[in-house]
Amino acid sequence: MTGIIDSYIPVAIFLAVGLIMPPVTMFLVKQLSPRSRAANKYTTYESGSIPTGTARIQFNVEYYLYAIAFVLFDIEVLFLYPWATVYKGHGITTIAVVEMLVFVFILLFGYLYLWKKEALTWVK
Amino acid sequence: MSAMIEIPEFIVPFIPLIRGVVGLALIGAIFLGAMGAVWIERKLSGDIQQRYGPMRVGKYGLLQLVADAIKLFTKEDLMPRNADKLLFNNAPIFMMSSVFLMLVAIPVGAIFVNGVEYPLAVAEMDISILYIEAMSAISIFGIFMIAYGSNNKYSLLGAFRNFARMVGYEVPLGITIISVVVMTGSLNIVEIAQAQGLLWNIFLQPLGFIIFFVALMADMGRLPFDQNESEEELVAGWVTEYSGMRFGLGFFAEYIHMILGSFLVALLFLGGWNVPAFVSNNAILGLIAPTGFLLAKTALVLCTIVMMRWAVPRYRIDQVVDLSWKRLLPLSLVNLVWAVGLGLYLGV
Repeated sequence: MTGIIDSYIPVAIFLAVGLIMPPVTMFLVKQLSPRSRAANKYTTYESGSIPTGTARIQFNVEYYLYAIAFVLFDIEVLFLYPWATVYKGHGITTIAVVEMLVFVFILLFGYLYLWKKEALTWVK
Repeated sequence: MSAMIEIPEFIVPFIPLIRGVVGLALIGAIFLGAMGAVWIERKLSGDIQQRYGPMRVGKYGLLQLVADAIKLFTKEDLMPRNADKLLFNNAPIFMMSSVFLMLVAIPVGAIFVNGVEYPLAVAEMDISILYIEAMSAISIFGIFMIAYGSNNKYSLLGAFRNFARMVGYEVPLGITIISVVVMTGSLNIVEIAQAQGLLWNIFLQPLGFIIFFVALMADMGRLPFDQNESEEELVAGWVTEYSGMRFGLGFFAEYIHMILGSFLVALLFLGGWNVPAFVSNNAILGLIAPTGFLLAKTALVLCTIVMMRWAVPRYRIDQVVDLSWKRLLPLSLVNLVWAVGLGLYLGV
């Protein structure tokens, strides 16, 4: 009876509310709140001292390695989602389960490799 | 909507629209719920630390949150000079949209009319659990936009920690959700909740429940996983430069996220709204009991999450990352294999 689009009409309505609500709230705040101008008020907070340089500096490569590992395993998870819905009751149970186990085990070797290479260790 | 209740023919095409508009009431309800959650958290924290918590404004301090809201509304909206205007101003949109879009797909209860079940979800979709997880992940954009936009070193450190934590815990979270899905064979959260009946998933997959709960706490940034805020070292981390109502919006988004997370625990592992048949067949109890049961379980989970805050000290960031990559990830794979075996044993 209901098409796939129908379940996303409420989503669109909620998205519209989510997009509108914060600006409207901030507009209300602008009307209600006091304003005062003092130059020092607009400096960046750095525990009371005058901030040096910009905050947008280069960061440790550790974050990068975790991101790579994350992409790897998140795609694994993504492949498991459709598998989880069909492996049972479609006459392909055995082959589906075996294939999934093979898939996970291959990735497990990658995981062990990452562990041995200390890519999953924070402090090197 | 099922065929049991007669609906005039001309309304049928507008049902999704009506559901969406009526569902907007849920946004109001969830805001009230978030205020309640803040009050419960402050009261419980007070009790645990042997103080009173809020008690001056209104009876039992119930109006404390109203006073806080008035204060936030009348505070000056401050933006540091070096901040990136675009990112700094628009981050709350991402955080709020993230929780609202999660809210659309989460069933908040069910009513039984003449023994027929009507789940109270604004939108019912085939892939709702995947959708909820995806929407939940959007909030990290908001956090990163705030931190990068405010051009503050504390904020940026907090955001990077947040990022390192999120990428670690999304994977075990996803795998435990799949372990629940393989028991049902459906990605629809309504069907997952219904399929549990009175044999809850927590009994079938105790390990999965623990992994899911820990990963969810980390996902929501609750203590002991609030390394992105850590007041003592990072001065509130990603919200250092955020003040007034702008902070209030982010704060509320976090609390709504926590409530929705509690709903997820109750729906996926604690049996959802399922009640014994004699209760659901009762004309009056069928209307109230299932929803009440679900809300009670959600409140219980919420209180547990709040009390965990004072029971476990905050981890260092390297411990957090180790916990997810070296403990939870292998354990969640073990749980997946267990769930597949159990699903085949019980199922086919």
